[in-house]
Amino acid sequence: MSGPEAAGNVPLIHRRYVYGLQLRLFVNFAGGVGILFVILYFALSRPLPGDYAGIFHALRNLSPFFRAILSVSVLLYALLACGSTSALCVYILHKVAGPLYRMDLILDQYRSGVHTRTVSFRHDDQLQPLAKTFNLWIGTLRRDRHRWLATMMDAERHCLQDEATCRAEMEEALREVAGDMARYR
Amino acid sequence: MKNPSLPPPRPRIRYVSPRFQGPAVLAFAAIIVTGGTIFWKLVDSEFQRVFLHAAIQGHYAFDSAYDIVRDLLVWHLASLFAGVFLTGSALILLLVAATRHGIGKTVDSLRRSADGDLSTPTGAGPIGEFARFGEKIDAARSDTLASVLKIRGDAAALASSGISSEEFRLRWDELKDRIRRIAP
Repeated sequence: MSGPEAAGNVPLIHRRYVYGLQLRLFVNFAGGVGILFVILYFALSRPLPGDYAGIFHALRNLSPFFRAILSVSVLLYALLACGSTSALCVYILHKVAGPLYRMDLILDQYRSGVHTRTVSFRHDDQLQPLAKTFNLWIGTLRRDRHRWLATMMDAERHCLQDEATCRAEMEEALREVAGDMARYR
Repeated sequence: MKNPSLPPPRPRIRYVSPRFQGPAVLAFAAIIVTGGTIFWKLVDSEFQRVFLHAAIQGHYAFDSAYDIVRDLLVWHLASLFAGVFLTGSALILLLVAATRHGIGKTVDSLRRSADGDLSTPTGAGPIGEFARFGEKIDAARSDTLASVLKIRGDAAALASSGISSEEFRLRWDELKDRIRRIAP
């Protein structure tokens, strides 16, 4: 089960988030094309000379003139669209990049043996099931750890009795803990 | 007037992960540049053809060059917008699908871990950032499994060892200490 409903009913990525991303992209690209249109409109809408010969010569020479204008305006469009789309990517995708970054830090802490706190992402972050299942895993491990320690401490109580009973109870506790750990594979 | 009892608002952090956002930015840039180049090439060749055609036509019923190329320009701009937007949308859907697949696998792997399976690889897929993240999760699971297996082996060995009480007690305490270090 690796779909969006990977953890209960909470999707990994909300549909609203995807629609919002597409809407912003729509506005962004529409704005870029709009700017390109405005530049080309102003360049092309200059009145042609009034007389017949003037218009003929103007039309014959328009192509090279517009090639330069077209090149500059397309370059400007590309720069503007790339810049705004980059900003959009950073602005929108941080809701996915943020949880990944946070989980990276938590995993580093976990592996270095530092106390791992319960993971929670920001309210509007995506990938919420990731935090949920990580907490579930760590919670299960801690519950097992407490049980193993409780078993051992329970055996230690028998040390108030004679030495042989104490040793027998401790060995029994060790076998129980080892058996319990067998579920980890 | 500020209320001193209220904590100051936390600044909103916008994470920038070059490994995740970088390829997306580059892919969008490639789409825009490709769209712009195709637009430039097509419009330039059309302009050359249309202006020359208009010049030799001899009947000049227009006030500006825009009147000649209006339909052509609008059509090409609309095509540019549609092409870039649809390709960009497809890229977004691809990104979302890759994220759902990669992180979905990781979520499954963590859920299996809670059931005791710490050895089945996550298999987060071939996409760089998710593959790396999956490997990191696998490394954490692997460390945990190694630690648990070591403790288990030592516990079983200690249970059946016939060592002296002092030695037994020392190894018992050491074992307890190692168990305490699981999922700190």
